[in-house]
Amino acid sequence: METLETTNYMIAGYTVIFGVMLVYLISLFVRWRNLKQDAALLQELEDKEP
Amino acid sequence: METKPRLLQILDVVTAVLFAVAVGMVFFYAPMERTMGQVQRVFYFHVATAWVGMLGFLVAAVVGVLYLVRKERRWDIVGLAAIEISLVFFFITIVSGSIWARPSWGTWWTWDPRLTTATIVELVYAAYLMLRSGIEDPDRRARFGAVYAILGFISVPLTFASIRLLRTIHPVVIGGGNASAEGEFSMTPKMLQTFLFSLLVFSLLFVDLLWHRIRLGQLADKVEQLRLKMVQ
Repeated sequence: METLETTNYMIAGYTVIFGVMLVYLISLFVRWRNLKQDAALLQELEDKEP
Repeated sequence: METKPRLLQILDVVTAVLFAVAVGMVFFYAPMERTMGQVQRVFYFHVATAWVGMLGFLVAAVVGVLYLVRKERRWDIVGLAAIEISLVFFFITIVSGSIWARPSWGTWWTWDPRLTTATIVELVYAAYLMLRSGIEDPDRRARFGAVYAILGFISVPLTFASIRLLRTIHPVVIGGGNASAEGEFSMTPKMLQTFLFSLLVFSLLFVDLLWHRIRLGQLADKVEQLRLKMVQ
């Protein structure tokens, strides 16, 4: 049986696999950074309260 | 909590190195499959992401039970983390499977038992995130999350068993053939080694991501507590 030419599908598959994983990693990083800023700000406000 | 533990730093590096090795094995070590050609290489990470998905849903169900028994918030944080990671990986499984199906089955999508049950799993857990975000009281939210994770897990073994019990065109590469399957293939020793190594690496990746996501959940919890304190 002849081998199918499916290289483009493989590239598309791995683009999705690596792309989605990368987006998730970035989302983890961004959420961590934002929460750290929020925590610092709230802590500062709490410390200022009489 | 905010300084990354030394063990997590080591785990990050080990996971990244092993992930690079797995990618190398997929593209340069495993031979090309004779009938399907290059697209068969999607199989290694397609199954590995499905494994991580199911593993995370199992972890969420187990910690759901732990939460209901012990009422400790940390189990809710672990459950949420596991479900979020699994949703991402299961999404990759569904989309990469669809890309593999186009040249193998001649269609991007068919309502085959495996594809249908996998979609149901993804929707069940996507609903989990949406529903819990609508509950403000942290204890009620955690209780709801625990019960939902336990009940939602019923859909996972159904998906796993669907290709083994029902008539389907989805291949069963592990654990015997399926007469009606299209796109089945036998693994050579190098293919099997690549496949098993990918499973191992993705398991490690799951642990690494789970740890990071738990830390994020703990920080979010701290921010929520501070906010509640400010409001009172």
